[in-house]
Amino acid sequence: MTRRLGLVLPILLIIGWEVAAIIVNNPFFLPKLETVIPVLISPFSDILGTGSLVQNALVSIERVVLGFALAAAVAIPLGIGMGRFAVLNDFFDTTIELLRPVPPLAWVPLALAWFKIGIVSIVFIIFIGAVFPILLNTVDGVRGVKNTWIEVSTTLGAKERQILTKVVLPGAAPTIWTGLRVGFGISWMCVVAAEILPGPTSGLGYLIMYAYNLGQINVIIAGIIVIGLIGLVIDQGFRAVEKRWFGWRGLER
Amino acid sequence: MKPVKIAATACIALALVIVLFTTGCTQPSSPSASTATPSAKGPVGSVEAAGVGPMPSLLATGQVDGYISWQPVVEAGVESNVGQVAVYSKDLPPAGEWSNHPQNVFVVRKDFYSQNPDFVNDFSALNLAATQYINDHPQESAGIVADWLAGKQNFTYGNVSVSSVTAVNNALPTIEFTNDPSDSWKSSTSDFVQALIGIGTINGFVKNSSDRDAVLYNFQPYQSAAAIIAAKSVTTPAPLQNTVNVGYLMAVDHSALFVAVKDWQYFNDTYGIALKPEDLSKAKPDVADFLVNGQKIATVNLVPANAGPNLMQLAATNSLQMSYVGVPPAISAIDMGTPITIAYPIDNLGSGLVVAKGAPVQDWQSFAAWAKERSDAGKPLVIAAPGKGSIQDVMLRYALQNSGIAITEVKV
Repeated sequence: MTRRLGLVLPILLIIGWEVAAIIVNNPFFLPKLETVIPVLISPFSDILGTGSLVQNALVSIERVVLGFALAAAVAIPLGIGMGRFAVLNDFFDTTIELLRPVPPLAWVPLALAWFKIGIVSIVFIIFIGAVFPILLNTVDGVRGVKNTWIEVSTTLGAKERQILTKVVLPGAAPTIWTGLRVGFGISWMCVVAAEILPGPTSGLGYLIMYAYNLGQINVIIAGIIVIGLIGLVIDQGFRAVEKRWFGWRGLER
Repeated sequence: MKPVKIAATACIALALVIVLFTTGCTQPSSPSASTATPSAKGPVGSVEAAGVGPMPSLLATGQVDGYISWQPVVEAGVESNVGQVAVYSKDLPPAGEWSNHPQNVFVVRKDFYSQNPDFVNDFSALNLAATQYINDHPQESAGIVADWLAGKQNFTYGNVSVSSVTAVNNALPTIEFTNDPSDSWKSSTSDFVQALIGIGTINGFVKNSSDRDAVLYNFQPYQSAAAIIAAKSVTTPAPLQNTVNVGYLMAVDHSALFVAVKDWQYFNDTYGIALKPEDLSKAKPDVADFLVNGQKIATVNLVPANAGPNLMQLAATNSLQMSYVGVPPAISAIDMGTPITIAYPIDNLGSGLVVAKGAPVQDWQSFAAWAKERSDAGKPLVIAAPGKGSIQDVMLRYALQNSGIAITEVKV
């Protein structure tokens, strides 16, 4: 039922869009649905010589997954260390808070200079976007593990390694998962920034910027819709896992 | 009315159009103060647009009264029925000043040229041959360029759908494809450098040099290339060890590259020099073999970018060894100490001033009259221009000043 309720607003927005387009009657402000739909319903045909929507989406997904996986691989171990050991936290915290507010877009010129043209600089931009939410949530999750659980396991003779793998990690997992979910959303957002970089000739972000340079508003809107839809599907996946595996958190409270 | 406005505003945000609004005109500026006339009748506002793509949209939504840009955005404004060409850049005043104005050039890293002079010369010969081909076969070239830039698909502007082949076909004759660093080209470029110094966008090596030509140019590749083309024979150089990266923009101006790559067989057969795509099925090849007399000399990566400064940054870090690029980013890069040199022009002209459809404008004189009339009425014209210091921005400033019209930058 809730899912059906969630569909009401998007449908209203689409109707509102078409009505507004008819009233405004200026396709430069707002193109009618009719000009965007052809782009969307033929996802396998070429757009402006950049490849099809599906091809572009796959390229972007691959880049996002790479950057996101790298961010998770760095942020989760670091976050566990920082959450568990105060000295690590004190060592890293200031630097992280210094770097965290810098928008991924600001790194674009440096990424180009450091990592040259190609996949590495693109993955770097996505990595920057995803790493901080995952890291902060991991630290939070580890700190949030109940002291009594750790104390009990210590009393029962658990070693540090056992405490980490059997108590801290499972206890922090729901919060870490939330971090991953937020991080993935942000890496998906960063794909446009990352694909502005010279070199790529495909990707949804590239497609949007390329259409922008040619003033093709219908293609831009189609790109936005596809990015949104893919983000939605992936987020539903994250939520499903959350519900299936981490439902216990609700009971715990 | 109000909900319409709200809807429209929301839609602009949706459509990613960067809106530059026109409140608080400040800071009057003129290209070179020495010739500013006191008879300025009133201001024209100039709006700096982020890229030229959205300019027809800005015009169609009444946010600007006109724009000055490069191709194919000039033709796009006409074909989408929102604008009309007031004047092409070659006819902008002062009379004759811009009749051969620089637009794009080919730059080469100095260290790369000194290590691989034969490769650069042969590559340049291919550029010269491709330029000639565009001039001899404009129709066929338009098809190749439209295929590279838009997969030969239609451009949609508002309610109007235009074939990209038609758009490129209309744009090509307004561009002068030439590689000759003629005296008039040099003098026009030198005036442009002077204007950039006046605006303050360059103040390094170029400005401070006593011999600017030596800092900016090295026409040796052009001369060697011209000799190769004239002889119709080329000696095979030693193969290069490393891959060569060549930058370009997705622009009609860089048609020579597109034609050279897509028609590689012709150039291979006619001149013995070719850029053969490694994957012949690709619409926009990104890797090509550089062939001389049928022998592979180097692997060439073709690196597209959406702005010249990006390319120049890559050249600075040796990520690119050669590049097709607009003349302003090339000059700025050299001014900042990037170890590159301008080897020859790629194209000249190809810009235009577009005004709203139905405006009382047929040429520059009537545009100037319209500007004065609107200014007197308290509604000064607002014209969008690509970034400050672009050749289009400089030409507009010169022309307005020449007609005794002041220009203010609209601060956003």
